Amino acid sequence: MSNLPKPILFALLGTVVVALIPPVLIVRMRTTKHSLPRIHWIQDMDNQGRFRAQHANPMFADGRAMRQPVAGTVARGELRADTHYNHGVVAQAWATTFPRQTRVTPDLLARGQERFVIYCTPCHGASGYGDGLVNQRALAVMGDPTRSKGTSWVEPKSIHDSDILAQPVGQLFNTITNGVRTMGSYESRINVHDRWAIIAYIRELQKREASASADTRGVDRADRKRVGEPDNQNEARQS
Amino acid sequence: MRTPNEIDGPLETPVRFVFPQWSNALLPAVIVMMLVAPIYAALVLTYGLSPVTHNVGYMPTQPIPFSHKIHAGELGLDCRYCHNTVEDAAKAAIPPTQTCMTCHAQVQTQSEALKPLWESYSEGTAIRWQRVHDLPDFVYFNHSAHVERGVGCASCHGRIDQMDVVFQSESLSMGWCLECHRDPEPNLRPLDQVTNLAFDPLVDQSAEARRGLLEGLRITPSEGCSTCHR
Repeated sequence: MSNLPKPILFALLGTVVVALIPPVLIVRMRTTKHSLPRIHWIQDMDNQGRFRAQHANPMFADGRAMRQPVAGTVARGELRADTHYNHGVVAQAWATTFPRQTRVTPDLLARGQERFVIYCTPCHGASGYGDGLVNQRALAVMGDPTRSKGTSWVEPKSIHDSDILAQPVGQLFNTITNGVRTMGSYESRINVHDRWAIIAYIRELQKREASASADTRGVDRADRKRVGEPDNQNEARQS
Repeated sequence: MRTPNEIDGPLETPVRFVFPQWSNALLPAVIVMMLVAPIYAALVLTYGLSPVTHNVGYMPTQPIPFSHKIHAGELGLDCRYCHNTVEDAAKAAIPPTQTCMTCHAQVQTQSEALKPLWESYSEGTAIRWQRVHDLPDFVYFNHSAHVERGVGCASCHGRIDQMDVVFQSESLSMGWCLECHRDPEPNLRPLDQVTNLAFDPLVDQSAEARRGLLEGLRITPSEGCSTCHR
């Protein structure tokens, strides 16, 4: 090969080098993360001129493709005239019983437990003592000056506190629906039926705690948590 | 009148083209190229056009550096805490600003990174989250149909709970979809493990358990065109 004229030699070497570019690019694409928009070689109708859920639409002032219902209108099935079921209110007072739509059955309790674990456990903990992982981390963040950045965390209530125990189910329903103090509203995340299911499960947890703490009466909450007895028992029973 | 010789010019002895000596050295190169080129072309086309190459690893920059590793991993938030429509709707909705505010109305309120959140909250504008998993518009996909039938979040989205910045971990190509539609059993898990990202359907349960799910949930995924292209 050494007696090849220079241009021919360079052309050969050039070809080899150029041929190496696609494989190198392919390997790079397959081994690294990339933030550039994905390449679609064959577009077909990958991106169609229509607006889907949560897409942006420049035609509207707020830039959203999804629209709010026209003011003063009610969608079918959204009237919510039954105040007991939809607001936990009977005769302008908190309801003390479950509405007829939600009979407390094992199925309802199972559903309630599942929803409680998803939406309540983060702050209130698996047994409802207010010792969830979010609470623990928020307290840790608040106590660390470098990470605090304006954190002002208020510890969530224990569902076993006497004032919560005294609350009628309708008031608990309202708390989940509209939030209370620093707790936010869960109206948009948990549907009405599931909110009642969660309350049924909260009542169940409260009953369990009442019987479990019968022998540890007089020991305050912080001590119990350190010893970890009722907490662990409840968690073991759930799992 | 001119003779042909006058038109074409005087006849000359034609110069014979002789390949130079060095061209002998090119012969092996040409043979090698002819052998290698088809293989090279096949490989480059196969891998270069593969959806795995183009889609996997897509990691767009988000307007707020939200970490799923902290929220879904360390804090153990269930996927449904934020993506609450996933069980009922086709789309697993991006949570509204209000959901973030459940905690961040109190936590790290002065954080520089959360400024867009407060802007959105006070002005009612949408945060422009960048979509990571995006099927072509001619594909119909329904989240609820899958999560209610024992297909876990992790099967398509990977270990989100370990990602600081979410990236696409599967190709989401048609072939990839069909792989599971033809043989769903290896991807089935109990319904209460659907959002458990650490659960491995192949490791954490027996083959009998998977077959039980297949029969118990009566899973017969369709492979017809109109299932997804409707």
